Amino acid sequence: MKMEFLKLDIQRFAHKKGQSSTQNGRDSRGRRLGAKAADGQTVSAGSILYRQRGTKIYPGVNVGMGKDHTLYATISGVVKFERLGRDKKKVSVYEG
Amino acid sequence: MIKVKVNKDLITISGHALYDEYGKDIVCASVSSIITTSINAILMLEDDSISYEEEKNKIIIKIKKEAKITKKLILNMINLLKELEQTYPKNISVMEGY
Repeated sequence: MKMEFLKLDIQRFAHKKGQSSTQNGRDSRGRRLGAKAADGQTVSAGSILYRQRGTKIYPGVNVGMGKDHTLYATISGVVKFERLGRDKKKVSVYEG
Repeated sequence: MIKVKVNKDLITISGHALYDEYGKDIVCASVSSIITTSINAILMLEDDSISYEEEKNKIIIKIKKEAKITKKLILNMINLLKELEQTYPKNISVMEGY
């Protein structure tokens, strides 16, 4: 097969502006962490209250914690964010 | 920097000259002209003695058949690129027997 002639592009090996050769430029999608129910809000049993990495907020009364530290209500009731000791927080659900 | 890797039957030219911005890069223009002239001349005279592949900022020349004229034109191309390297060592590097 006869090869075509090579096209003359006299800037073939020139660097185009903005042709970034950075290794960066990637990021993961936001995980939408944080509170999913507000203080004083009425929730049903099983509702997710707080998504987190580690225990920023601890489970209080009638609240369970999943293996990814997600906090959820174990009964239907009213959400209460409270202090836990000197510098920690917990979330509880009280029958409303 | 443009890197020219010369093997027995394979020549790879790749990279950016980075002498000046796009459209003003005279080193890039010289390299492109030398290579294009050489390849097209060989294709005119001994069209089955070489093949080439074109990628982004890269050209790979494969020597498929020993032909006198091809050998001379390739040698001339490499010598010209070496001359260029003397003047612009920061922008082009020719490596033989790679």
